Amino acid sequence: MNEAKRFNWAEWFLNYSLYIILGLLIVSVVVWDRTFLSWGNFANIMAQASTRGILALGVAGMIVYTGTDLSAGRILGCSAAISASLLQSTTYGARMYPGITAPLPLILPLVLSIIAAMLFTALNAFGFAILNMHPFIISLGTQLIAYGALCLYIDSQAGGAQPLANLDFRYIEFVNGSFDLGFTRLPYLVIYLAVCSVAMWVVWNKTVLGKNMFAIGGNPEAAAVSGVNVARNIFGVYLIAGVLYGIAAFLEAGRVQSVTTSTGLNYDLDAISGCVIGGVSFTGGVGTIPGVILGVVILQTINYSLYYLGINAYLQYIIKGVIIILAVAIDMRKYIKKK
Amino acid sequence: MKNSSLKSLVVGCVLVMAFALAAVAGQPKIGVLIYKYDDTYISTVRNALAKALENKAEVVMQDGKGDQASQNDQLDVMIARRMDGLLVNMVDAQAAAGVLMKIKNAGIPVVFFNREPDLNVLKNYAKAVFVGTNAADAGKMQGDIVKNLWDTHPEYDLNKDGKFQYVMFKGEPDNPEAIARTEWSVKQAEANGVKMDQIGQTFVCNWDTALAQVAMESALAANEGKIELVIANNDSMAVGAIAALSNVGYNTQGGGKFVPVIGVDATEQAIDAINRGIMSATVKQDGEAMGKALATIILNMVAGKPNLDGTDYSYDASGIAVRIPYSPYEGK
Repeated sequence: MNEAKRFNWAEWFLNYSLYIILGLLIVSVVVWDRTFLSWGNFANIMAQASTRGILALGVAGMIVYTGTDLSAGRILGCSAAISASLLQSTTYGARMYPGITAPLPLILPLVLSIIAAMLFTALNAFGFAILNMHPFIISLGTQLIAYGALCLYIDSQAGGAQPLANLDFRYIEFVNGSFDLGFTRLPYLVIYLAVCSVAMWVVWNKTVLGKNMFAIGGNPEAAAVSGVNVARNIFGVYLIAGVLYGIAAFLEAGRVQSVTTSTGLNYDLDAISGCVIGGVSFTGGVGTIPGVILGVVILQTINYSLYYLGINAYLQYIIKGVIIILAVAIDMRKYIKKK
Repeated sequence: MKNSSLKSLVVGCVLVMAFALAAVAGQPKIGVLIYKYDDTYISTVRNALAKALENKAEVVMQDGKGDQASQNDQLDVMIARRMDGLLVNMVDAQAAAGVLMKIKNAGIPVVFFNREPDLNVLKNYAKAVFVGTNAADAGKMQGDIVKNLWDTHPEYDLNKDGKFQYVMFKGEPDNPEAIARTEWSVKQAEANGVKMDQIGQTFVCNWDTALAQVAMESALAANEGKIELVIANNDSMAVGAIAALSNVGYNTQGGGKFVPVIGVDATEQAIDAINRGIMSATVKQDGEAMGKALATIILNMVAGKPNLDGTDYSYDASGIAVRIPYSPYEGK
């Protein structure tokens, strides 16, 4: 966040209170069930957070513009369907493309998945930057279009609508494999997340695109007056988000190993929650990449520990809801203080 | 703000502790993954199962929320918690290969149930069994009910053309149970000698009452007086269709105009509707029997006894699947 601040305990507590609370929550989980504290659980949480994290890295930029993206989940579903359909095992009789008899190189479906996602985010960018629609509205529309496209694609199989499964073993290994570190395993997924995070950190902090993005998010009129090409900046940020969605989709299809018409449902809300918990403000112009990652990991830790303690499924919703409301309440306070 | 946050935290922690399942020493830990909690039939299974395992095992149950990715996450946790046995109701049966691999690596006995994975995949793991129904049977039983209605109620043939004009409500587009029920109900009726004539497209209503009601309203707007029969893949949709019918004066209690409606599941709501005379019949998928069978089989597997010890069931031709039979319900 903003550097060169005088150290102030109250402010520090406000800025980090959520992490302190969550830290305490985790400690209480460990007190309740000591087996929770293990490298295996840590590796599981990080792997589960990876695809959501990559998606959140894309959504975060839109939130910096005071926008949002309700279509991220369905776009992920579409791209995941493309990846999975092209990478079904070539020995599986009912595969979508019987014409593919030799396994494709993994890079091709990845690239196609990215292109598909970029087409959708470009549509969102067009609505936002050119038609001046609120991102909430344009992405609401895009979400329906993406869902319809996904259903049509899945239904276009020779045998009718059926899940895209029986994936190529190389693909499953590429996504779900891990390095054995002796004391624990390091899932490849965590490495993919780390690479995307570093790349996005560079985009946000070291490029004109990133700096202008924050300027527009903070005050679009001022940014425009000072010579920033707002529309071009928006397209840039959205297309990069498309790349991230495509990567997340490729990995998610391999992680779940089956893509259906419900793949990606509500992933956008998880990504947005992660961003908000991580301090990306809905009031615009505020947010950091480490914050986003931390937010997603914290959200996944909550999920995981609720499962781990075997909490009543319906109560899980309530606890998560309370935590998200707390997060936004604190987020608002930061904004009020700034004014 | 600070203080109130801390207070919420304390309350939250207390809640977490209060509702966490107490570990009971000496009993096997059984993990149960349910595809979706708010499914009427699965709820029957869930409750019967919980009752059958009471005092015999420590049960940890999770709601997959209809999302395979969530279910995979829940499975990771179950394995990390070293469950002694697992009962898995897949969200997406096609994703079973990956799920089975994880369970096999952990060496935990597992019973898949309700949603049927490819049995050839399950055969890769010696400690895997499937308990379900035969998807086609529910449809066939509906077809037999159609024949029965046709023979006993000549007045149902409104236009006297010797054909049963019907509308069809299907569960989900890519669900194997929905596909089989849709196909076999009509095939079986035709095999029984009833001429079937579908009106309009099949309505795909995702097992949902509200969606079925909306679809039926539009069907009635277009074809009122021509629809002679409603076939639904489950009772929730059948009930939705009845709601639409009653809005335009059909299927009201105490006689008057009536369109026969057939569902599957024998939910409490459907049984009540049948007994009140506003629905014709349903096919009972015996959730109680399923729950009891699951409990017995998983406890056998955990204890190392023969899997089907103490049950009346036997494996079907596959050698690893147990089929719980359906039965028709046409009122008291």
